[in-house]
Amino acid sequence: MRVLDYDIPDDLYYSREHEWVRIEGKTAVIGVTDYAQKSLHEVVYVETPKVDSQIEQFQSIGSVESVKSVSDIFTPVSGKIIETNAELAESPELVNEDPYGEGWIVKVQLANSDEDLKKLLTAEQYADYIKSLEE
Amino acid sequence: MTKPTRRTHLYGFHKQTGKTTLFAGFEMPLWYKGIIPEHMAVRNEVGIFDISHMGRALISGPESEALLNYVTTNNVARLTPRSAHYSTMCNEKGGIKDDFVLSRLEPEKFFLVYNAANRKKDYEWLVQHSRSFSVKVEDVSDIIAMFAVQGPKAQITLQKIAESDLSKIERFKCGWTKLDGASVFLSRTGYTGEDGFEIFVWDTPLSNPAKAEKVWNAILKAGKDFGIEPCGLGARDTLRLEAGMCLYGNDIDENTTPLEARLGFVVKFKKENFIGKDALLRHKAEGVKRKRVGLRMLEKGIPRYNYEVWKSGQMIGRVTSGTFSPVLECGIAMTYVPTEHAVEGSTVMAKIRDKLVKAEVVRFPFYDPKKYGYRRQKNAGVRL
Repeated sequence: MRVLDYDIPDDLYYSREHEWVRIEGKTAVIGVTDYAQKSLHEVVYVETPKVDSQIEQFQSIGSVESVKSVSDIFTPVSGKIIETNAELAESPELVNEDPYGEGWIVKVQLANSDEDLKKLLTAEQYADYIKSLEE
Repeated sequence: MTKPTRRTHLYGFHKQTGKTTLFAGFEMPLWYKGIIPEHMAVRNEVGIFDISHMGRALISGPESEALLNYVTTNNVARLTPRSAHYSTMCNEKGGIKDDFVLSRLEPEKFFLVYNAANRKKDYEWLVQHSRSFSVKVEDVSDIIAMFAVQGPKAQITLQKIAESDLSKIERFKCGWTKLDGASVFLSRTGYTGEDGFEIFVWDTPLSNPAKAEKVWNAILKAGKDFGIEPCGLGARDTLRLEAGMCLYGNDIDENTTPLEARLGFVVKFKKENFIGKDALLRHKAEGVKRKRVGLRMLEKGIPRYNYEVWKSGQMIGRVTSGTFSPVLECGIAMTYVPTEHAVEGSTVMAKIRDKLVKAEVVRFPFYDPKKYGYRRQKNAGVRL
């Protein structure tokens, strides 16, 4: 769906820190939302964690830096990092251009997704949250 | 109680086409297209900035030169009519009250352009010291609109709508002309490191912004074929930082002296007397203990305001300004370090979010002055 100026795909889960997660069986793809990339604007560096590191839900696993500011990436799910988006080293602007696609940040092998997902927002809940922030 | 937000003549344009931000009490454009494309437009072609938030004062009268020579550090006697120079005002301790550009319009008439954040402070300081001089000090900030047109194509852009030959106005010279029929004062100065002009649309109160809008739009139209971009404060900050220019409040303030800030070239000790002279002479004699230097990151990461700078296991300073350099494509910063560490080419560490990241101490400007900036070799770095 599209809320205000922001894309919020229906099939993803969201955190209040503006990360999204796409569940694909036992793995998850994580990135930052359209709202996050529009607020940051002009991303110039993405710092990602090491592959194989164990991560806990809502822990900082890296950062997204734009010309003007820097934001932590808080993982929306727990598990083990199995891949990081190597393209972002050369082309961090992918986070701006395609935040839900080519601009993905890490892939995670899920540990306890059922519990984690309960603490996340659905697209509709995230849309309401965005509206409340823009008021 | 919070003060109401102030706006400039061009507020309508900014709100409609850009993202705005609060700066020194003004709602100003942060960017229109984006900081990086705006920055590169100025380095390679031309950009236009609304800087009507800045402070402006007219100082006139038989003792105007004497007053200005007393309150500022540069030598005003050497400033000929239709010339401008960069200078500072210091307090009695030699701390910088502000930095600014002073233009001499006529033998007994000067025009001072200072920082938006210091509008009130500077005006009051001038008025306070003017009492023992035969002068008049007028705050004209709200009745003059001010734009900067900067970049290697600034002159050919403005020439299309200028009444007189702009090539006759050399760097740090100023004069009157008409732009698109409107009478303006302009100086060949700026805050980007590039060639360019600062344009003052006289007699344009905020309540009647039509003339300012007309000139702004005419410049945008004239620069269209040259790739002109309207630029916000975001690009203004990255441009001045790349050029190694100070931002008041960050890189200099009342607790820093011009000598520490490496602005000694605007302190003329041979002048008879000026506020802060004694303190600065003592400071010079005792030796300057810390100096402003540039840091260029050798690894990924952007050093930002207040981040720590380390050397050999010791914290030696803090970042006063830092950003991503669109030209160098890496993090750059300004910081003050003890003089013994202000060594070009030496390595220090910037603490970026708990990690020590390698940086090199470099000279200003950060970019190669043969390729960028007003001293660039003709055609180098310009896309033709």
